[in-house]
Amino acid sequence: MTDCCHYLPDSIDLGLILLDDDGRIQVWNHWIAERVRLESHQVTGRTLEESLGSNLDPRLALVVREALDFGWSARLSHALHPLPLPLYPPGAPGNERIKQSIDITPMVIDDQRHCLLQVRDVTETVRREALLKHQARQLRNDLQRLSQAQDELQRSEMRFRELTRLAPAGLFEANLRGRLTFLNERGEEILGHLRLHLPDIPWTDLLSGLEKDRITDAWRLAAESGTRFAEDFRYTHPDGRFAWIRAEAGPVRDSEGNLNGFIGTLMDVTEFHERATRNEFRANHDGLTSLLNRDRFERHLRAAVSGAREVSDRLALLFIDLDGFKGINDGHGHPAGDTVLKTVAGRIRRVLRSDDLVARYGGDEFAVLIRGIGDEATLGAIIGKLGQTIALPINLGHRHVRVGCSIGLAIYPEHGSDPTSLLHHADQAMYRAKRGRNPSPAG
Amino acid sequence: MRRFTDLEMDALSEAFNLALGEAAATFAAIVREEIELSVPTIELLSRDELIIRLEDTQPGGESGRLCRINQHFEADVGFQTDALLLFPEYGSLEIVRRMLGDETPVEHITELEQDALGEIGNIIINSCMSCLANLLGTSLRGSLPRVQSHSPRDLLNDKPSSDVILVARISMSMSAHNLRGFVLFIMDIPSIENFMAEISRLFQLPTGQEAPSP
Repeated sequence: MTDCCHYLPDSIDLGLILLDDDGRIQVWNHWIAERVRLESHQVTGRTLEESLGSNLDPRLALVVREALDFGWSARLSHALHPLPLPLYPPGAPGNERIKQSIDITPMVIDDQRHCLLQVRDVTETVRREALLKHQARQLRNDLQRLSQAQDELQRSEMRFRELTRLAPAGLFEANLRGRLTFLNERGEEILGHLRLHLPDIPWTDLLSGLEKDRITDAWRLAAESGTRFAEDFRYTHPDGRFAWIRAEAGPVRDSEGNLNGFIGTLMDVTEFHERATRNEFRANHDGLTSLLNRDRFERHLRAAVSGAREVSDRLALLFIDLDGFKGINDGHGHPAGDTVLKTVAGRIRRVLRSDDLVARYGGDEFAVLIRGIGDEATLGAIIGKLGQTIALPINLGHRHVRVGCSIGLAIYPEHGSDPTSLLHHADQAMYRAKRGRNPSPAG
Repeated sequence: MRRFTDLEMDALSEAFNLALGEAAATFAAIVREEIELSVPTIELLSRDELIIRLEDTQPGGESGRLCRINQHFEADVGFQTDALLLFPEYGSLEIVRRMLGDETPVEHITELEQDALGEIGNIIINSCMSCLANLLGTSLRGSLPRVQSHSPRDLLNDKPSSDVILVARISMSMSAHNLRGFVLFIMDIPSIENFMAEISRLFQLPTGQEAPSP
């Protein structure tokens, strides 16, 4: 038993100090000796103050006194008394004190009050809890950031929803196969389908015929290369109505940069297309007769000449000038003149083949370009027929009028090898014809 | 167990008023703040009555957990008691953290905080008990504090149901907190008789045994 009592204090992983009723050290175990760096024999019989000097926490002295005088136990927690005793890590040269927690309990030995100090090293606990709290703070900050981000996301989602609802354009999102994963109301209107009712097919399958093939190819190309998609196409609504639709889409990539779909817009550009077609026609055609205008005709002529040069073809250029038109215009008014011009234009058109070009060249002057002309007789027959049809009576509503015409002919390459000389030749030939028909030069 | 007379209960109140006043002063010194202490209400209850009382009043708030600091005392004059300090876990944690200048959002009490709470409870209980010991002219040997957190139902599982519990209910108001706490003294029947005898002697009451209880 004595042996046991002797060895026990030095075997446990706890600092033990036993003080007698005078506060003198009786037991000073190995754990304490190692950390205070004072051996048991150096301190036995002395008080804590004598052994440790000013290194002692005053509260420790107080509670030791209370234990000895009144028999109270006390705890000095690390949080409130971090370093009551000068303890240092054993064997390490460092001067950083061990963090500790001390329990002070009274004991009665041989009828004498004693006081036992049990000293625990809480350095590791302090470190662990500091880490725990650091992590907790970090977690809280992360959570705050996350909830902020979530709020922002919610707001931006709401914004997005409202925007897509109000957007004048169709907005869609599609996966790489072209399946629509999102389509706003306007988009549904443009396509004439509710997204949720669409079967699991690529959106390009909503098209038909050649347009479907063309757009399917274009979409596949964009999906394969991850590039921008922009196409106009003709679309047949489920209700049978035709529309021009412009689809534009950009690739969407995930956080790793992998392509995972497209986001884009749909616009009904039917009106735009129709207007463009009208504008193009207007730019190239005479407003009254819908024949080509002079500018456009000359461009066709240049192209035809260079084309004919390459394949050694022959071209016929006809200038047709109306005779007696001025009289009708002056005598019956401009509306009557307009009717005459429209009627003549239609007649010239009907005499010729559909790929021959007819233009209103000037006021009452028309030009015709015939490609791949046959023999002179055929050409002569055409010219004769032109003269005859133009000369037919024209119904003005209140009366009939007639106009005649003078026709000048120039043949490529015989009468000129370039447009200018051909035009000049035809012009001269027409004037000659007019003079022959009507000796006074008044038109 | 016999019931105590009103006079005896008044004497008990008086004794605890003094003792808890000391404790509150000590606590105020620790937290360096003015502390207002209510006059304690004293009751004698059985363990199960106290549990019902605690469950009803929910001093621990919605979450319900109470922090208990427990020390055992033995008096020379023939009584022994467990002195318990009860605080809502949440409020006590808040006070410890404030004292340590720490605002970390850890939901439960950590080991070191529990240690610190033990020390605070120890100081309060010791000062209360030293006051009682002085009044009664006896010595009280106290054990080390033990700190535990429990729901009211499990709070007193380790105490025999036959014991009598002397409940002193106090509320402490600090500037930012209104911390309601309980001080409990749990004694067996002989202890409570002896303790009351000491109190009666102190306040020079007529010897209770002869007075018929109401």
